[in-house]
Amino acid sequence: MGWIDYAYWIALLPLIGFVLELFIGKYTWKQGGIFANLTILGSTIISIGTLIEVLGGARIDVSVPWFYQGIVVGYMIDPLAIVMLCMVSFVSLMIHIYALGYMEEDPDKSLYFAETSLFTCGMLGLVLSNNLLQLFIFWELVGLCSYLLIGFWWYKPEAAAAGKKAFLTTRVGDVLFLLGIILLYYNVSHLPEPLTFQYIFSLEVLEAIPPTHLTAIALLFLGGAVGKSSQFPLHVWIPDAMEGPTTVSALIHAATMVTAGIYLVARTYPIFIASPGALVIVAVLGGFTALFAATLGLVVNDIKRVLAYSTISQLGYMLCMLGVGSIIGAFAVGYSLFHLISHAFFKALLFLCSGVVLHGLADTRDLREMGGLLSRMPITAIAMLIGALSLSGFPLTAGFFSKDRIIETAYEYGVATGDYLPWIFILLAALLTAIYTFRLWFMAFTGEPRSYLAEHAHEGSKIMTAPLIVLAAFALGFGILQSRFYEFVGANFDTHLIGELAHLGGYHLHHGGEVPLIIMILPAICAIGGIAIAAGIWYNNRVDLSRYISKSNPIYRLLWNKYYLDYIFKDLIAERLFGFVALLAEAFDRCIIDGIVNGISRAIIAIGSGLKRIQTGVVETYATAVVIGVVILILLIGGVL
Amino acid sequence: MSYGLLLPELIIAASALIVLLDVFVKNSRGRFAGYVSIIAILVSLILVLKDGLVDPTPYFNDTIVVDSVSQIFNMIFLVVALLVVIAGVAYTEDKFHPEVFYSLLLFATLGMMIVAISNDLIPLFVGFELASLATYPMAAFERERRGIEASIKYFVIGGLSSAILLFGLSYIYGVTGTTNIPQIAETLSANIMKPASLLGLIFVVAGFGFKMALVPFHMWAIDVYDGAPHLISALLSSASKKMAFIAGFKVLIVGLIALRFDWYIGIALLAVITMTVGNVVAAIQQSVKRMLAYSSVAHAGYIAIAFVVISKSLEHAEIALAGGILHIFSHALMNGGAFILASIVAAGVIARAKPGEEDNLENYAGLGKVAPVSALLMAILMLSLGGVPPLFGFFSKAVIFLSAIKADLLWLAIIGVLNSALSLYYYARVVMYMYWKDPVLERVNEPLLYVLPVAIATVGVLLLGLYPPTYRWAFEAAHTLLQMGGVP
Repeated sequence: MGWIDYAYWIALLPLIGFVLELFIGKYTWKQGGIFANLTILGSTIISIGTLIEVLGGARIDVSVPWFYQGIVVGYMIDPLAIVMLCMVSFVSLMIHIYALGYMEEDPDKSLYFAETSLFTCGMLGLVLSNNLLQLFIFWELVGLCSYLLIGFWWYKPEAAAAGKKAFLTTRVGDVLFLLGIILLYYNVSHLPEPLTFQYIFSLEVLEAIPPTHLTAIALLFLGGAVGKSSQFPLHVWIPDAMEGPTTVSALIHAATMVTAGIYLVARTYPIFIASPGALVIVAVLGGFTALFAATLGLVVNDIKRVLAYSTISQLGYMLCMLGVGSIIGAFAVGYSLFHLISHAFFKALLFLCSGVVLHGLADTRDLREMGGLLSRMPITAIAMLIGALSLSGFPLTAGFFSKDRIIETAYEYGVATGDYLPWIFILLAALLTAIYTFRLWFMAFTGEPRSYLAEHAHEGSKIMTAPLIVLAAFALGFGILQSRFYEFVGANFDTHLIGELAHLGGYHLHHGGEVPLIIMILPAICAIGGIAIAAGIWYNNRVDLSRYISKSNPIYRLLWNKYYLDYIFKDLIAERLFGFVALLAEAFDRCIIDGIVNGISRAIIAIGSGLKRIQTGVVETYATAVVIGVVILILLIGGVL
Repeated sequence: MSYGLLLPELIIAASALIVLLDVFVKNSRGRFAGYVSIIAILVSLILVLKDGLVDPTPYFNDTIVVDSVSQIFNMIFLVVALLVVIAGVAYTEDKFHPEVFYSLLLFATLGMMIVAISNDLIPLFVGFELASLATYPMAAFERERRGIEASIKYFVIGGLSSAILLFGLSYIYGVTGTTNIPQIAETLSANIMKPASLLGLIFVVAGFGFKMALVPFHMWAIDVYDGAPHLISALLSSASKKMAFIAGFKVLIVGLIALRFDWYIGIALLAVITMTVGNVVAAIQQSVKRMLAYSSVAHAGYIAIAFVVISKSLEHAEIALAGGILHIFSHALMNGGAFILASIVAAGVIARAKPGEEDNLENYAGLGKVAPVSALLMAILMLSLGGVPPLFGFFSKAVIFLSAIKADLLWLAIIGVLNSALSLYYYARVVMYMYWKDPVLERVNEPLLYVLPVAIATVGVLLLGLYPPTYRWAFEAAHTLLQMGGVP
């Protein structure tokens, strides 16, 4: 018996933390947080113990039957799962430690920790799941916790609105995902074996599903991923979600929950690669989102929103990687996951740093009111610089290795298929990423303080800066593990199986294409060039941009209004369209049914006017409804006569 | 012959009379009757649970059979009655002749239990009518205009639909020459005897359609649930409506199983329209009580999927029926709890709101602050109604949809899922009001006697979906039902 046999405790421990925090957290040390931290520490230890065993070749996949034949509960550990588990529990632990300082003053601290514990439990459970139904249950659980946490400061109207928006938008994705599960089960439910991933992802099973259904399933799953990972066009909720506590942004909207969508695609990669056409859409959508979100990141002045857009953009990279991976097969999962994990480190770091800035500046998030913070909060400034370098893909940081590999593969994909679009998208996005990231850093940390608050800013407490240092070390050095990581996670799926499935999906796997040197160094050039441009403009505010930043500049206006998508979704679709549909339905219920009923009842009354009328008010209407129902039934059932 | 298995019914019948003695108890104000009812229901419930899934045991020349189906339904009815009675002790304190409330409630429960154990059309109809007649006056218990109006509507439509049902049953008797349900199945499977049997089927479906409140037979239900006192609405939507389903299971699935191809289109259409209309109209309601009424219509649509699956494929009849039974159970808990809880809020605003507005969603704003326990319970119930995992409402619905998938009814499952997704919007709206708005009420009393039944329902909703024996019971009951109809 090794660690791996107790791996389900990774998810169970935070659940215990949740219960303890909820009921007795308030009466313990610092009014909450101790149980959440201890249980997640436990999860981290078990995860790392399990990782060591999995590196040694251990695997596990256990299920017990549930309520019906074919429906099981269980957990599985393979390389893909264990790297996610280690990342989630570790980053979550860092954020929980930090939150002890960040949430210190909050009156509902124990509630906060209870909710984040439950969230962590949901996220770890999602990764551990060995079948789709169970995964969906945890998927919904993390969603629920995220709405709660976004609206945690509900007394701010923006926070409540943001929680609502997140709910409304991500639900669209969730429903698509559920429909995908239904379509998949529809195709496989006659099979005798329990419907675990391991069983479904075999050639015999996938071969038997019609290709159109496979593509539909893959696209519906993609829909789920688009909602959860906030890809175009369902990305609109993440920037607003920044109204929640910064620790929540770091935990949910950077490191963990939003990556669940990517994890879903990676976990069900065999379905994707067996579905004709699906991965092409994944590649283009991911690439487009990466560029699209990067353009938006250029104009916002809210420090957290810049990071939010960069998250959308980076998730686009991961998705794009899985898409262009159709030419390299199983290894795509390794490449994508490597970026996912390095992103988790540097993005959590960036968010936590911005949290220190917010703390130091009385919750001001406007970059225009910052400036000159380098000397006032040096640890944070340096940590944030490391995060920014890594995000921009500056050579030798973690982000450089992970992003470089994606851009290169996208180029190879272009060579192999003639479709260079994803490559162009993400290359441009890389340039813009460097620009907006360093715009943020220069605006916040260099130059003169531009407000009273910035002048009197102060460094965060030790409990907040310590996690920054740990995360900064990972953001800087995680890249050295790259080849080891690719081998480990890339071997998650059987290469032979993926090859066969790719054949099914009509994808051609290529091996070892030569990439010209200029293409190889292009990402680094983009990163350095972008940083240089940002330095040229924003270092000490050298260039006066006010001429361009005006509402009369159409490009600026377009970006400022986020391409008017919010307007389209909220005003046009959500309000007008649904209002219209609801009105129709009400009209149906109140006018058509009532109308027919009234009409007929009037007719009956008219016919029977010689008879004494019984004045029962509307009851007669309803009675007529029953009679009409009977008539309809006679017609329907009688049709078979 | 031992009548031990009929003890729950006998206890309920006796206590329905005993509670009337409350008039002679000094200063009782209904408490004597309330406690007697609670004890009677608890004892019956314990007896039902103790015997558990019994083998079919016939009584009175096979007119009554106690089996796993009747046990599980009796349990559901008794649980709902228990929830209502506990809240009733506080509710009837200042009411006119409170003992009548308990007596009628116990008679209604008795009627439902008789439907559950009957194996013959005669006791089935008698039980049906007993339950209906007892609930008509209950809707008017507060003797104010809205309640009386609701009660009269309920009575008139109830009478009409009973007549339709009886008419249909008479055809079936005329065709088969027997009122024994398994014998009807046997006779019909030997000789289907169309079209007379079809005529019977049509009227039976319409009669049950009324009680199940399927669209277009639903309009009375909205007004009645909305106009009746909350506790009565809880009883009507959680128990009385479920009685129609067990009666429907017995008559349609057991008795008329040979005609299943003929009811397929009709019920499929009814199910789809019921879900869709119920959900869409619920989404635009401003009153929580009306919203619950419409949502209860929508849930009847989900349950009706079970009939559709069975008529499509007998192979998956068992899981469909089990799903139906599970959803009946989960919906009884969720809806009953939610209606009782709505009365806590309504009581908190009664002083300041115009009559008819005490259930407005606005009043739920900030409930998380002023009534934290109620708000938490309500949130869980709402999420479960909306089908959020891992609550009971999710699993019960999932089993129904799974059965549709298995029976190749992909389109029906998809319509169900889309409906369920839509429904979550308006359920979640209540949760958002409770937690993300500033309170409008300064203080809301949370009387223990109201909170306790809701808490019981909520604990059930939290745990039962994860508790494997729940599913075993449901599948066992489904199996028994199908066996009675002669399905292998």
